[in-house]
Amino acid sequence: MRKTWIAATACTLAVGLAACGGSAPVGATDSPSGEGVAPGERIKIGSLHPLSGGAAADGQQMDNGARLAVEAINEAGGIAALGGAELELLSADTQGKPEVGQSEAQRLIQEGAVSLVGTYQSAVTANVSTVAERNQVPLVIDVSAADSILQQGYRYTFRIQPSSEVLGTRGAQYLAEVSAAAGSPAQSVAILHEQGAYGSSIRDAFTVEAEKLGMTIGPVLAYDPASVADFTTQLTQIKAAGVDVLAVTGYYRDGVLVAQAVDTVEPGLDAVYGVANGAFDLPQFPAEVGAAGEGYFDANYHSDMTKPEMQELARLYQERFGDQIRTGAVLAYDAVRVIAESLENAGSADATAVRDAIAQGEFETYLASTGPIVFNEAGENENAIPILMQVQDGAVKQVHPEEFAEAEPVYPAEPGQQVR
Amino acid sequence: MTPAPERPADGPTHTTATRDENMAQAPDADPTPVAPPVRGRTLPLLRIAAVLGLVVVAIALAYLRSGSGLVVTQAVVTGILIGGIYGLVAMGLTLIFGVLDIVNFAHGAFLALALFATYWLVASYGMHPYLALAVSIPVMFGLGALVQRGVLAGAMGKPLENQLLITLGLALIIENALLLFFEANPRSVALPGDRAVPILGAVAELSRILAFAGAIVLAGLLFLLLQRTRLGTAIRAVAANDTGAQMVGIDTRRIYMITFAIGTACAGAAGTLVAPLVTIEPTTGALFNIIAFVVVVLGGMGNVVGALLGGLIIGLAEQVGALLLPGQSPLLSVFIVFVLVLFLRPQGLFGRSA
Repeated sequence: MRKTWIAATACTLAVGLAACGGSAPVGATDSPSGEGVAPGERIKIGSLHPLSGGAAADGQQMDNGARLAVEAINEAGGIAALGGAELELLSADTQGKPEVGQSEAQRLIQEGAVSLVGTYQSAVTANVSTVAERNQVPLVIDVSAADSILQQGYRYTFRIQPSSEVLGTRGAQYLAEVSAAAGSPAQSVAILHEQGAYGSSIRDAFTVEAEKLGMTIGPVLAYDPASVADFTTQLTQIKAAGVDVLAVTGYYRDGVLVAQAVDTVEPGLDAVYGVANGAFDLPQFPAEVGAAGEGYFDANYHSDMTKPEMQELARLYQERFGDQIRTGAVLAYDAVRVIAESLENAGSADATAVRDAIAQGEFETYLASTGPIVFNEAGENENAIPILMQVQDGAVKQVHPEEFAEAEPVYPAEPGQQVR
Repeated sequence: MTPAPERPADGPTHTTATRDENMAQAPDADPTPVAPPVRGRTLPLLRIAAVLGLVVVAIALAYLRSGSGLVVTQAVVTGILIGGIYGLVAMGLTLIFGVLDIVNFAHGAFLALALFATYWLVASYGMHPYLALAVSIPVMFGLGALVQRGVLAGAMGKPLENQLLITLGLALIIENALLLFFEANPRSVALPGDRAVPILGAVAELSRILAFAGAIVLAGLLFLLLQRTRLGTAIRAVAANDTGAQMVGIDTRRIYMITFAIGTACAGAAGTLVAPLVTIEPTTGALFNIIAFVVVVLGGMGNVVGALLGGLIIGLAEQVGALLLPGQSPLLSVFIVFVLVLFLRPQGLFGRSA
């Protein structure tokens, strides 16, 4: 044991010293050329994501997305307003733990990060946002749904993805629109959702809007995503209730289990309909569940694959990392671009000036949305919306609203049946 | 959590010769074996009957509550099948706890290792998932022996937290090594010919039924090994009283190593059997850890058959409880059952017989 401690201390010291060495020159900023940036000095952006632990797959994707954005900006000549200063990405691993995220955020700020990007899990983001606020360093949230994060009156926290209220409301509207257009409007909807803040806030927003649109909701079943092992009992309950549509809100692993249970129980639904579901719109999903996932819908925030530059980014990502890009990576990419453009607009690397530029700016996005990224008073992206995706022939296709559609929605889509 | 070797003052004079149950019943049962062939079998029977009675009551209540026979049948079928898997995972854990007195936090990580080994064999050699058992069991057995001899042997007899921290560290190393080599994208293993099988109106996936059957076979084999072989007798002797076992000439260090290896091999078998049922990620094994610990305590620490029965009870509590308490986490009913058992019978439902 003692030897281990000595080794650990030695490692920590080494890392600590290296970090000090790296950050020391930041203090010397009395340069004439630009505010806060010495010539040849790189502007640091902190990327906080879960690179290990249960969400590592998403976290690594997002970190890769942020890295691609930094490389693209540097290749295009850096920040022109700051004498072509280049960006540098400081990556940190939150391990999906709030306390680790908090201390890593503190570390990145001490190392000179002028802005932070992150973090995927709402609980981690909540802690990181307090650090950002205290240090007056802007935090651009790429993914984290909980509404509460931006209800604290923070000035330095901004969010690109739509809030759970927008996700739930739009989800219900799309279901009504698509099913009505197909001539068999969804009348009764069962909800299966994870029991945390994310699942229940989406459930509430979805229920309110769906009832307004004349659908009846029930049964509503909650589950614990960390421990659930099988959904056949829940699906049998839903089958017994005889509903038209099953709405599902949850993460990846549980989404796969739902698809397996639907395949086993055959509940006779018109559609399985994800609302901000973390599984049904991922390219891995049809690969893992096979034909059982055919026809699944998901109303979720998503990269807009109808944009040529987004297709180019997807191709680049595939080439560089040998994996299909997920929306999380695109959001991280967008978040870095928001910061870069704000540096440009502010003409300064001062954190407060960058914050003001973020609050006032309009930013291009690769996300499917109603317009450019614009933040309101609370820091929410006003134009963020979900779009509807469907698994067709083993691939996730954008199907609704029309301006984002790559293919026609197929409804009813009885789960597991080959979509024509 | 009482430490395992609870020695009655008169223990060493006869325990190695007699049988297992006496340690658990040490407080109440008379240790002098008046009628040895009975071996206290009537007591567990009574308890099993009581548990079964409670299960029936819970199912009846669930029926009243949900009003659909089909839903309740499905809950019972699913509960039993999931329970078998919980028992399967807990068996190795309980064996290690009963004999070595180690709370093995690395059990889930060993399971994950077997999951990835299965995935690797299926993906690169096109092997049938269940044939991978022929690889995962011996490999995990060897790994268990190595880990016990190389890492844990030095901590035997030291305070509990030493071993606990070592196994926790092992779990971290294994999980992150898997993350490093296999990367973070989720993987899956498909069972050829997997389909829905109807059972009394309810349905279940074939792979779950086979995993359940595997759990029962494994429990049976372990039971036979412990009860009918010389090695098993030696393991039980070490579990009962290691000093006494040493005195009659049993090499306890070897027994420790073999037992840990068997426990790890159980994790290997469990990993391969559940591979078609789960999304394979480095953290998948850890998901089973908490439930497995609950099952171990419920079934009586060190009791392999108890682990299987404990698993069934937990599986049923989870599924039937979800019908009884709609809108709550299924874990709520699991922990209600768990706390009740701890309160009424702290040594576990089925006493203790390693």
